[in-house]
Amino acid sequence: MKNNVIMSNLDKHTQRLLLLFSLFASSVIILIVFFIVTRGMLPFITDNDGLGRVSLFRFLTGTVWLRGATFVSTAYGAGFLVINTLYVVFLSLLISFPISILSALFIAKICPPRIAQMFRMVVEILTAIPSIIFGLVGAGFLLPIIYTLATTLGYRSNAGLGVLGVVIVLALMSIPTLTTISETAIRSVDRSLEEASYALGATRAQTNAKVVLISAKGGIFAATILAVGRALGEATAVSLVAGNAMSGPSFIPFDITATLTSMMLMGLHETSGIDYDIRFSLGIVLLAVIFIVNVTLNFIKKRVGDFGE
Amino acid sequence: MKKLMLFLLSLTLVSTVAACGDSNFDETGTINVYTRDTSSGTRDGFMSGIGFSEAATDDSLLVSGFTTNDNAGIMNAMRSDRYGIGYVSLSSVNDTIKPLSINDVEPTIENVMNDIYSLKRPFNFMLRLEEDYENETKYLLARAFEAFITSEEGADAIDDAGAIGLSSEGPFSTIVEDHPVCALDNSDITLNIGGSNSVTKVAESLTAAFGPRCGNPSFVHNHTGSSDGFKRTQGDEKDSPNALDIGFASRDFRGEELINGEAFYAQAAWDAIVVIVHLDNPVQSLTLEDLKNIYGGEIQTWQSLID
Repeated sequence: MKNNVIMSNLDKHTQRLLLLFSLFASSVIILIVFFIVTRGMLPFITDNDGLGRVSLFRFLTGTVWLRGATFVSTAYGAGFLVINTLYVVFLSLLISFPISILSALFIAKICPPRIAQMFRMVVEILTAIPSIIFGLVGAGFLLPIIYTLATTLGYRSNAGLGVLGVVIVLALMSIPTLTTISETAIRSVDRSLEEASYALGATRAQTNAKVVLISAKGGIFAATILAVGRALGEATAVSLVAGNAMSGPSFIPFDITATLTSMMLMGLHETSGIDYDIRFSLGIVLLAVIFIVNVTLNFIKKRVGDFGE
Repeated sequence: MKKLMLFLLSLTLVSTVAACGDSNFDETGTINVYTRDTSSGTRDGFMSGIGFSEAATDDSLLVSGFTTNDNAGIMNAMRSDRYGIGYVSLSSVNDTIKPLSINDVEPTIENVMNDIYSLKRPFNFMLRLEEDYENETKYLLARAFEAFITSEEGADAIDDAGAIGLSSEGPFSTIVEDHPVCALDNSDITLNIGGSNSVTKVAESLTAAFGPRCGNPSFVHNHTGSSDGFKRTQGDEKDSPNALDIGFASRDFRGEELINGEAFYAQAAWDAIVVIVHLDNPVQSLTLEDLKNIYGGEIQTWQSLID
């Protein structure tokens, strides 16, 4: 009887402590969003020290970052940044997704166990590399190659800066994350499913493609959501290879571009006044984009999950 | 499958070799224009220097297709972009790119001091108001530092850091008599220095040379941008944890920053702005008019400039 009472007290306290931690973690997110939103709303609702309000419609649909002189004009437009951001992330996913999934499949199912262990370690270390390293490698190593490629093909290129550089850097950054998590998901597929497939006469390739990958769909999707989240929010690496275009969505691989994050970063230390506050507004747009993309991906995951199982 | 792979591989190899082989500078190539962003002091100095000061803060006046980047980014780009043109600080120039002369005047330190090289921008500094200093000693040290900047040793320190010192007022030993605070032991005092990050090297060089000559105060450098040069000494953040005792800016102080008058700010040095191109570019010198036309879009290919 006594033991039961002591256990339940400990339980209660532990539960309360865990609740406290969860509340703290969630309140941090709420604090961040609250801060960004309140600061970022200002250019649209206040007079900006006599400069006038920033037009919300123009901001969301504009194709030129700023018409007129900085610190004086309020004609900001961020629409093209949203399109650029989604475009480069999508393209980078086109590159990183096949590479990661197939690598994960190889490491989990095909590779001899000892070598698999080594690969797993290498990829895990790669996930820890800070993004600025990718940016510096991109700027120093990739840009001259892209420039040579562009001149060979007859395109005008600004020293290799542009869409292609951003896409490659983002792909390089997404691959380690996608690979480790997908690999774990693939490894945890029930062995009996595989064996059933072999028993029915399927080849290794058929089993891998139709049974293993489909069963690991949930984990692979989770990995994709994480990788996309990281790519959407990447600032430093992108700003070093993007070229900081000031207008229009950029679709040609050799054109300079800009994303929401790289625009926030540009000239950040030297700027002031409305030019500084408008970056918080960009922050709101970025948070909205990340939120919508996450919700969409989760929705797709649920629908796909239903079919898969 | 193998044959296809081999074919693709040889195709890429041939194309890379072809690209390497072509080292003729194509005069009809479009000029790729690089610039700093609108809040940069270097851009301000450059645009005013070429007579295009409206474009210092207004991107829509520039030729379309320009690339914006920071100092290091422009240097990096000019290493590979054969048709590019950009501008950087004199202290960044090295032999991986080609600096251009302006009106046949080379961008050297001597030419800036002689005032015949015209593309330059000021490095200015600002002090706090006397009553805003933590104690009288700090205020006196700041004034002594101000005097040090114009001494011979100060000019040397500035030159070491890659900027150009103003004409000096003699060795510090003659000036220090007016600043008895330097005879005291100031090793328990810490001064906060900050402001423009373009001035970081110069500021650090100055404080390193000044310290031993004035009682060894210590210095903490926190350079975050020209706007903070005013904000953290006399502006909104002057009493915040980020407050500075001396703030630097890589541009002239403007607007509300001049509110407390000339007694509390002065120029420390010049920084020359150099126009750079790729090493293969045959152009040697340009006029300010040429530069204005290039950045404004009236001249779009290298052809008219190579004569």
